[in-house]
Amino acid sequence: MRTEVPPAPVVAPVAAAGAPRRHRNALRGAAGVLIALAVWELVPRVGLVRSADLPPVSSVLRVLAREAGTGAYWTAIGQTVYAWLLGLALAAGAAITLGFALALVPRVRAFTTSTVEFLRPIPSVALIPLAVLVYGTGLGSSLLLVVYAAFWQIYVQVLAGVADIDPVADETARSYRFSRWGRIRHVVWPSALPFVLTGVRLGAAVALILAVTAELVIGAPGLGLAIAVARSGTEPALVYALVLTTGVLGVLVNVGVRAGERRLLRWHASVRREVPV
Amino acid sequence: MRRALASIVAATVALAVVGCGGSGSDVKTEGGNAQLTVGVIPIVDVAPIYLGQQKGFFTKRKIDLTLKTAAGGAAIVPSVMSGEFQVGFSNFTSLLLAREKGLPLKVIANGVSSTGEQGKDFGAIVVPAGSPARTAKDLVGKRIAVNTLKNICDSTVKASVRKAGGDTSGLNLVELPFPDMPAALAANRVDGACIVEPQLSQVVAAGGRVLTSMYVDAAPNLSVAGYFVNEKLLKSDRDLVDRFTEAIKESNAYADAHPDEVRQVLSSYTKITADLAPKLTLPKWPAEINKDSVATLGKLATDDKVLTQAPDLNALYAD
Repeated sequence: MRTEVPPAPVVAPVAAAGAPRRHRNALRGAAGVLIALAVWELVPRVGLVRSADLPPVSSVLRVLAREAGTGAYWTAIGQTVYAWLLGLALAAGAAITLGFALALVPRVRAFTTSTVEFLRPIPSVALIPLAVLVYGTGLGSSLLLVVYAAFWQIYVQVLAGVADIDPVADETARSYRFSRWGRIRHVVWPSALPFVLTGVRLGAAVALILAVTAELVIGAPGLGLAIAVARSGTEPALVYALVLTTGVLGVLVNVGVRAGERRLLRWHASVRREVPV
Repeated sequence: MRRALASIVAATVALAVVGCGGSGSDVKTEGGNAQLTVGVIPIVDVAPIYLGQQKGFFTKRKIDLTLKTAAGGAAIVPSVMSGEFQVGFSNFTSLLLAREKGLPLKVIANGVSSTGEQGKDFGAIVVPAGSPARTAKDLVGKRIAVNTLKNICDSTVKASVRKAGGDTSGLNLVELPFPDMPAALAANRVDGACIVEPQLSQVVAAGGRVLTSMYVDAAPNLSVAGYFVNEKLLKSDRDLVDRFTEAIKESNAYADAHPDEVRQVLSSYTKITADLAPKLTLPKWPAEINKDSVATLGKLATDDKVLTQAPDLNALYAD
């Protein structure tokens, strides 16, 4: 007879193994970045690609440091962040308002579903000619693309969130004679919030992509335009330095939105840490 | 929560209101000076307007300039039509195309011209190092990069090939933005390119060879690009347009006479590095448009079926 092997614990005890594991992961992550940078440095140096096409990372970082000392660089970042943030706020505001309003009136939702399903797959970049025609090359064009792209990401999540209400909680609220507003505030909103915030997180990433795209293609002021200008110049390292900047911006946006999500959802089971027994 | 909602609604309404305005072509005045926004491309060609702005050629004619760089020429025409820019910069083939589509634009001043010297122009057909091509005729059947199909490069490259005795029906033109051309040539992804400064100097520095100057082949002293306005502005404020034209003429003359200052001003609006700026072949900036050369461009475009009918050239100009 074989001795029976006890099943492995499904949930690893967090307090015991968590800290060293996190430490190890961070180390591996840093090593990964270093290896990627080393490859980037070597590939042009050994001549796999012309350094005019892909300058080594050391010269890109040198140019980046030089740019970071200029006001124009930070202005461009500010313009991109402004278009991103304003666009995301407008998209979130519109999507949440509309999503809640429609979801609570099922008949209207049935009317709009077909239109939504038609509009949603239209890529935001396909609206570039329209944006130029209506808003020219300014902030308005950026906002149109950003809002359009981010809106659907959030809107769909809002609809899903509102549809996911726990019926017991809802009926309990009804039996306690909560007002319509009270039900929205105390039942619908908290149970939809994780969905909404997932939508905002997805929307934030898409919004940044579209903000930079609008600047690059239309010429709205910001990092994208700086890349376009650098591209028609004669310093390839500057183009890469600016592209690197958009990448860092993307990482910061993602980290920031995730932190905000964790804060707002402290109470939720997906974030709350179980106390080890 | 309620306050947040209210501010979101307010912001949405504000955006909608902002979106509705801003399509008028009225020129604002501040301190007696007309406020003009000019849409330009960040290339060597528009150096005179930056110089003229620095030298006060516009302010002394009661014009305050705001120069806005568009990522490409494609965004400038609609922005001048919508009134966001009062003046735009574009090449003459594009302007003829826009007129044919019925857009109410008028050319008011010369923008940039070819030097007229074969082999020493700011634009050229280049081939990579080691290419067997000797004349434009040898390009037939090869992949030639142009920045935009059915535009000025397209027309003038065909003019060069015809002039060298080649048959243009065998040309294989591919679209590629100017900044991507040096890399494409170096990797032999294209066999030749219709290219302008500063990429022209980059290609030559990397061992590429100038085959011919297509603008020189197309017409003597070709006017390549011009400044244009919406017809509405011309009707509502002819005096302002005339002042702008005078200021541009003075700027062009100054730029032509001071190439060193042109090379310096480049660093204020382009990212051309200081080591390359002194090596660039600068274009010419004559005061007047060479209308015969624009007529030739029109004929080339009509022959190549880029324009569907011969353009009405008199309607193109403001005067």
